[in-house]
Amino acid sequence: MSQTPVLELENLSVAYDTPKGPVRAVNHVNMKIYPEEIVGLVGESGSGKSTLAYAIMRLLKGSAFVQEGTIKVLGQDMYKMSPTELRAFRWAKISMVFQSAMSALNPVMTVEQQIIDTLTSHRKGITPPQARARAEELLDLVRIDRKYLKNYPHQLSGGMRQRVVIAIAIALEPAFVIMDEPTTALDVVVQRSILDQIQEIQRHIKFSVLFISHDFSLVAELAQRVAIMYAGRFVEVTPSQRLQEAGHHHPYTEGLLRAIPRLTADEVTIEGIPGNPPDLVTLPSGCAFHPRCPVATEECKIALPPIYDTPNGLIECHRFAGEKVVQHV
Amino acid sequence: MSNATLVDVKDMVVRFPIRTGRGRSFITPVDRVSFTIDSGEVLALVGESGSGKTTIGKALLRIEEPSAGTIQVGNRDVTHIKGQALVRYRNDVQMIFQDPFGSLNPVKTIEQHLFFPLKKHQGLRGTELYDRTGELLERVGLTPVPETRIKYPHELSGGQRQRVAIARALAVNPKFLVADEPISMLDVSIRAGVLKLMNELKRDMNLSFLYITHDLASARYFGDRIMVLYGGHVMETAESSDLLRRPMHPYTKLLLAATPGNPVRQPLPETSNQAPDLLEGRKGCVFATRCPLVTDLCRNEKPPLQSLDAGHAVACHYAV
Ligand SMILES: Nc1ncnc2c1ncn2[C@@H]1O[C@H](COP(=O)(O)OP(=O)(O)OP(=O)(O)O)[C@@H](O)[C@H]1O
Ligand SMILES: Nc1ncnc2c1ncn2[C@@H]1O[C@H](COP(=O)(O)OP(=O)(O)OP(=O)(O)O)[C@@H](O)[C@H]1O
Ligand SMILES: [Mg+2]
Ligand SMILES: [Mg+2]
Repeated sequence: MSQTPVLELENLSVAYDTPKGPVRAVNHVNMKIYPEEIVGLVGESGSGKSTLAYAIMRLLKGSAFVQEGTIKVLGQDMYKMSPTELRAFRWAKISMVFQSAMSALNPVMTVEQQIIDTLTSHRKGITPPQARARAEELLDLVRIDRKYLKNYPHQLSGGMRQRVVIAIAIALEPAFVIMDEPTTALDVVVQRSILDQIQEIQRHIKFSVLFISHDFSLVAELAQRVAIMYAGRFVEVTPSQRLQEAGHHHPYTEGLLRAIPRLTADEVTIEGIPGNPPDLVTLPSGCAFHPRCPVATEECKIALPPIYDTPNGLIECHRFAGEKVVQHV
Repeated sequence: MSNATLVDVKDMVVRFPIRTGRGRSFITPVDRVSFTIDSGEVLALVGESGSGKTTIGKALLRIEEPSAGTIQVGNRDVTHIKGQALVRYRNDVQMIFQDPFGSLNPVKTIEQHLFFPLKKHQGLRGTELYDRTGELLERVGLTPVPETRIKYPHELSGGQRQRVAIARALAVNPKFLVADEPISMLDVSIRAGVLKLMNELKRDMNLSFLYITHDLASARYFGDRIMVLYGGHVMETAESSDLLRRPMHPYTKLLLAATPGNPVRQPLPETSNQAPDLLEGRKGCVFATRCPLVTDLCRNEKPPLQSLDAGHAVACHYAV
């Protein structure tokens, strides 16, 4: 594709400073996301998904820091912007829906005040009536009755709160939205209707999405491409339609696919992945997945595999040796 | 598998007092619920948050006492038993909770967790106690056993902790287990192992389960039958694959259409997100406020749960 990517991650590593030394939660990640694309990011708890999201937003907290690599959004290096530039850029061009919607909203402000706040802090010229009209429009967009504008967050259901958070994230029509498990705490019916709406709004406003989740089936349905994260690394980046081709993916990806009961397929066997996700402090040598991998060889214990460009996706695994090696995803 | 009915619940009601503007009233999050579970059978209970799943589980364990209806377990009426009878009853039924950490004691080793029920309920001592503990740990896949014995809960992963909770439940030789979302807090790669373990236990020990979940796919995997709950009422019950192939209740259809991984993706019907009314004495069908097929009949009359054909029952005036 020849367009400017909305997101470019190059060799990105993010670490937490701890008494035991830096712990790398995001480990040499490469990724490009193009305009209007929805990319899924799946991985187990602790694999580094939220850390990556915060790093992209330049909102890393506490002892976390970018160790290596670059993050460009719409061609601009997030970490070379001045604080003023960053303030104008964030939310207007790139925004995020946080993992817990409850904490993303201010409990003592009405829904309307929160939306108007976001609008006026970025659009200096906007008049109060214009801002109010836009707030109404946004509620329509996420299908909440306008009467809830005057309500406080605690007066809304979990699903409605999440819709408000999404409305705020898209209020300034950003080019790129990161959604960190936006529907995990919700019931499936509510989740589905929110996802349908995200897709519908996305068709109108045409922003790109990095959609973080640990629900493989959900991500495969929503996203055009899926990145699979394991112990801080993108072990595979694959077009969603390719995911069903068993035998041609990273062994971790295939393990995940076998671990999920199918809703309607005839065969109802499932298989767990042996062992447990690794501790980042004592990461296994070579490929971090090798102690749990059914097809691991001696080489996997010693050498980190390169990324291979296979017909089914970009895969970081020695068993694809012979395919073309790539540097950047 | 024998087809003897082990659990027989009839018209069970559980009510809780709530404070309203006009003083005290009651909600009935479980309202005239009936079902049976055969020995060696798994009944999967599916429904959204607040639909009454946990309350049904607690009533079966007699942590809650029903205000109407009956619970029979193995031909014994346990609806209102107390004291020693209740203690003995809890030998036959056990519960596994969602949070494997919260249900374990951080200052006790894994074997100590098993010693307690084995001593108290089985009267085991000495080498018998030691050997039985080892057997249980082996049974739930917590090997090597000598190492696991002396670990503390914080030294185990979530999946391993859930296995401890299962071993502890098995310690009293139960006939029936209530598993309340036992895998929802575990990592995806770990869930399958715990589900498979429960499936093996069911098969090898002829155990019965009430498996509570809001995931239809795992309900289908583990459940012989699925019961769909909404607002404290049973909407539909059927043999698992039959329910997914031929959902008849509008709520089941909505649930199925919303579940990821469903190859037939039809758009969801526009329905409101209004939470169901749980107040005691509510009229009509609880799903009426969200149902795309609603009529006046639905608003006024609760549809009875009717068997349409072998093992497939639906509570809807317009089910087809
Ligand atoms: N403040 C911190 N200090 C040290 N390590 C941390 C800190 N915060 C997070 N980590 C580590 O970083 C890793 C990645 O955490 P992160 O929250 O990004 O995971 P995640 O993939 O978003 O998980 P989840 O699915 O649970 O949200 C974890 O292994 C965690 O232990
Ligand atoms: N002890 C109690 N006192 C008052 N209300 C209660 C009590 N226990 C449960 N409830 C109410 O009963 C309803 C059903 O709760 P229950 O925990 O059975 O739902 P659930 O289906 O298990 O939901 P979830 O999927 O969230 O676990 C809820 O509205 C809940 O608030
Ligand atoms: Mg996270
Ligand atoms: Mg519950």
